[in-house]
Amino acid sequence: MIDEQMAVFIGSGLRLAVPIIFAATGEMLSERAGVLNLSLDGMMLMSAFTAALASWATGSPLLGVAAGVLVAMAVAAVQAVLSVTLRANQLVVGIGFNILALGSTTFLYREIFGPLSRDPIPGFAQLNLPWLAHIPVIGPALANQTGLAYVSILMVVVTWLILKYTSFGLAVRAVGEDPRAADKAGISVAKTRYLGVLYAGILAGLGGAFMSVADSNTFTENMTKGAGYLAITAVIFGGWNPWYTLAACLLFGFATALQFLVPALQLDVPVALLLLLPYLLALVAIAGFVGKSRQPSALTIPFERGG
Amino acid sequence: MVMKNPKLARVAKGARLELVPLQVLVPVVSTIIALGIGLLIIAATGASVLEAIEAFWDGMAGSDFNIGASINRAISLALVGLGFIFASRANLTNVGGEGQIAMGGMFATAAALHGAGDLPLGLAFIVPLAVGTIAGAVWGGLAGFLKAARGTNEVISTLLLSFIALPLVYWSVESFHLLRKPISDVSSLPESAEIPDTTKLPLLFPDNGSPLHIGLLIAAIAVVVVWLVLKHSTLGLRLRAVGLNATASRRAGMRTSFYVILAMTVSGGLGGLGGAIMILGQQFYLTSDFSSGYGFDGLVVGLLSRGSAVGVVIGALLFGFLRSGSINMEISAHVPSAVVLICQGLIVIVIAGSAILTNRKVTR
Repeated sequence: MIDEQMAVFIGSGLRLAVPIIFAATGEMLSERAGVLNLSLDGMMLMSAFTAALASWATGSPLLGVAAGVLVAMAVAAVQAVLSVTLRANQLVVGIGFNILALGSTTFLYREIFGPLSRDPIPGFAQLNLPWLAHIPVIGPALANQTGLAYVSILMVVVTWLILKYTSFGLAVRAVGEDPRAADKAGISVAKTRYLGVLYAGILAGLGGAFMSVADSNTFTENMTKGAGYLAITAVIFGGWNPWYTLAACLLFGFATALQFLVPALQLDVPVALLLLLPYLLALVAIAGFVGKSRQPSALTIPFERGG
Repeated sequence: MVMKNPKLARVAKGARLELVPLQVLVPVVSTIIALGIGLLIIAATGASVLEAIEAFWDGMAGSDFNIGASINRAISLALVGLGFIFASRANLTNVGGEGQIAMGGMFATAAALHGAGDLPLGLAFIVPLAVGTIAGAVWGGLAGFLKAARGTNEVISTLLLSFIALPLVYWSVESFHLLRKPISDVSSLPESAEIPDTTKLPLLFPDNGSPLHIGLLIAAIAVVVVWLVLKHSTLGLRLRAVGLNATASRRAGMRTSFYVILAMTVSGGLGGLGGAIMILGQQFYLTSDFSSGYGFDGLVVGLLSRGSAVGVVIGALLFGFLRSGSINMEISAHVPSAVVLICQGLIVIVIAGSAILTNRKVTR
């Protein structure tokens, strides 16, 4: 009984962590380049909706994911124009996009899906990898995931490799720490930041699409429920390091899953306290009470050449 | 922003004078464009635009009741917006209005339900208002303290504090030990009991059925006070100095930490007052999502105003009426109120994106 509940808990913790892992990993790279996308939640929500719509229309969840990622990239592109070229306040732009995403997805959902909102949309099947399933306790939870869930871990590895071993990664780090010096060294600050934001868009798109097409096989209004903010929090919590960020995402996933486990175990802990736990942890983390992490020096500061 | 020589400063001042119309023009034009897009979207759904506008107008100002309800909404938005511009005078961005409203409303409800109801001389509603204001002030001040003591970015901390406040409200209406009303029948929802009549804000026009309450006077006083402090007081000047250059201000002998904490405390307190007024003025009992959307609306109002208290009043009225209208549009013309969210999002993005037009010449 307890074993079974643990397996369910671990499984749901992982599933809840996956979208945050995607979004946080992309956001981490963008922030290393100096651009904070508060619009992450909006990108995820738009992608979740578009993926659901495209998957429903074409019958292919893969096309759904592709469409979701494209829309998230489009949002990221506009965010990049505003925050890099027009040097707008990155935080304000992000909040604007989140309001816009909530409004447009809610509106379109009611217009398009309104009458048939109960039907599940085509989604991915769980892979059920036999060699993973044999691991005790965590095995079944690890094995019963969709392919997209494993992609999220792959993206963490890829992002780590990009940052550490590629010239683009070097450019990202340089631009986020000292854009003026990077500019003098011949690195295009604007181009690097555009690519960083687009990268965040792709991954946020994957995370959003995972929610609708892989996890729940449906779209619901405001279905991200602030997952994008949680991802940004995870980046801060993880000290802008891909592995610590991954750990923070897993922590948030399990903290969120606790709200299902605690009542099942008949423990008398208010659900609300579990809901606010990730944010409280994050607040403690950014206040610098847990280790000392330093944000990229040029984070949220627009760069103007020769200014 | 720092002028190196007097000549340059004069040139910049000239440029700023030219820019005054632009600073009014940009919000006005973007609002009109966004509303135009909203109308196009309504037309695209095949709904009758005329019918939608009619329903919208009816909801905004169709009766004394609707006008009163719209202005009541505007009151809370104006207070959050004032809080936003107060903090932004010190170059601090308070995006935690939602959490500050939530804390204000929750503590005001607690005060109204537990003790304040029997107080004489109007204290029955004044005490809950004060308690709500203090709760919001603490919530905002916490972000100010973290900024001053630990260098924590206030945008992120106020946002996180909102995400912490909302589950607290949820908890308070879920738990019978806190504010949840005792279950009387099977359909009892997780919400607080209704506050005593004595703690409800007195109506301004009790005879014509308008729900407009004395919150309007409170907001009007707040507008004047914030305007005086920001434009015509040493405190306003000091906040500005701290915001523009903390290091220079510190060298000039100012306790910058104090001003950072003060700015965020006042900002949060105004949001808390807005939340308290929502409960005491119109909603009368606490629900878990009573603050839904007001924080962001108030933030948008603050942004649109570009730091002017008069701008806050105009923006708050605009959004108060927009919200009332959109709700009625959804009910009677079946146009989703999300259209108004789309318009709001567009307004914020366009104004943020056009900041380069209004700010650039000043810095050059």
